[in-house]
Amino acid sequence: MIGETLLLKVSTVTDIAPSLRHVRLVAATGSKLPPAAAGAHIQLTLAGETRTFRNAYSLVSRPGTRDAWEIIVRRVPTSRGGSAFIHEELQVGDTIEASWPGNLFPPVRTARRHLMIAGGIGITPFLSYLAEFAFSGANYALHVCCREEEQNVFAPWIAGQTGVAFHWDADGQRLDIPALLATQPVGTHLYVCGPAAMNDEVIAAAAAAGWPANHVHCEHFGSALSGGEAFRAFLAQSGIEVEVGEDESLLEAIERAGVKAPCLCRGGACGVCMTPLLEGEAEHRDHVLSPAERESGRLIMPCVSRAKSGLLVLDL
Amino acid sequence: MMHSDITSRPTYRALEPDLAGSKHLLVIEGETLLTGRLEALTDTFAPVNDKLHTWLVGAPTASSGPGKVWHLEKLVDVLDLFACATRDYGMGDRLYVQGTEPFLWSVTTAASIIGFGPNQVQLHHAGSLRRRVWCTHCHTLTENVTASIVPCAGCGRHLLVRDHFSRRLGAFMGVMIDAEAPGAIPAIEEAFA
Repeated sequence: MIGETLLLKVSTVTDIAPSLRHVRLVAATGSKLPPAAAGAHIQLTLAGETRTFRNAYSLVSRPGTRDAWEIIVRRVPTSRGGSAFIHEELQVGDTIEASWPGNLFPPVRTARRHLMIAGGIGITPFLSYLAEFAFSGANYALHVCCREEEQNVFAPWIAGQTGVAFHWDADGQRLDIPALLATQPVGTHLYVCGPAAMNDEVIAAAAAAGWPANHVHCEHFGSALSGGEAFRAFLAQSGIEVEVGEDESLLEAIERAGVKAPCLCRGGACGVCMTPLLEGEAEHRDHVLSPAERESGRLIMPCVSRAKSGLLVLDL
Repeated sequence: MMHSDITSRPTYRALEPDLAGSKHLLVIEGETLLTGRLEALTDTFAPVNDKLHTWLVGAPTASSGPGKVWHLEKLVDVLDLFACATRDYGMGDRLYVQGTEPFLWSVTTAASIIGFGPNQVQLHHAGSLRRRVWCTHCHTLTENVTASIVPCAGCGRHLLVRDHFSRRLGAFMGVMIDAEAPGAIPAIEEAFA
């Protein structure tokens, strides 16, 4: 079981809503899985018919669970293929290569209170938080903004938990984010995971309400970010030029060429794939580089960022 | 002695209102108020005056100051007010403290227990350089230390007062000065008057 990747086997596949699929994964060898903490994710290598997809998914299983990992995957209309593959092709008994669990979104252990705001499928990291908080007795509240008909979809994970409120887009049901953030007691940490527009709105509302930035934590969905115009990249160390297609990321094109590039979140959040940029102008889409680093034009996150035009030369 | 090569030794700053905050609390140790200081603070905090409370601790009761002024007798009253009032403080609150180091860190500790984070607190040192010293041998805190070497209030060992600082304890480290040559105690200086 010890290696750079883990081999998992699909033990169950359940459609819990028209666009939501729950997948339970066990170790292909039948042995125990490594434990993962609240907020952790795994990266799955999904071998589609035409190409390979690597997507990161939050684990919704109870933190520390070693017999099986669970994920919930939303079928996105604009899917690059990863979520479509899971919805259309994945079968019980299939084996999947996975990364070791990573965690870029852990709850802050010193927080006096945890305030979670989820948008849609952004609830998934918080399902593992809830399992931990139920055990630890932490003070928390979870606000879920979702479609009205999806309120009860997550019931199996939140059954018996207090402090969970659902909101949807109808009069009297919307979440008043500024009002919520204005009344939180000192010592609260805020976590938000949802579509980019919602994340931005929550982060801005927190700043407006005087929250120090180090009490505000965000996990972005990366998958929708990686497409764009096709361009070319020259890998200077390897002496290889790769074509980056419209619907694939620079990182995926590099991997397709057989060049090993470090990565973890594949969503522009962790910084592991940071690569020196020797020539060319990047369109930065990550959440790691500072404005000054972007300005310098010497670094790029290939998992989400692309070329503004033409050619990028990477020190890879 | 406000600067040291020891990186744990805290540094302090001039107080200025954090305009991102929604409510502001200024806590001042009365003995560190020089003439004109409250007037200067009133000017500095004018932009947040209507959202500001000032706690003057052990100051002459005639003093007025920025924002809404409250007079408290002792440090312990500040600590009690924090300990009893958790629900009154929110994520937009900002705390500003002026005083000696033991005062600054007693207030910071009481505020952090109810949830104030470092980015919500500004500390300004004023007045005496006296230190609280933590004995590395018996773990007793000795208060009001102004000398470079001090007998521990707990075990009586002569402690060399270091610049190493614990934010958790709000105290500097004291280490037995004559552990290897008993009785060999160098000249004691009034280093932290």
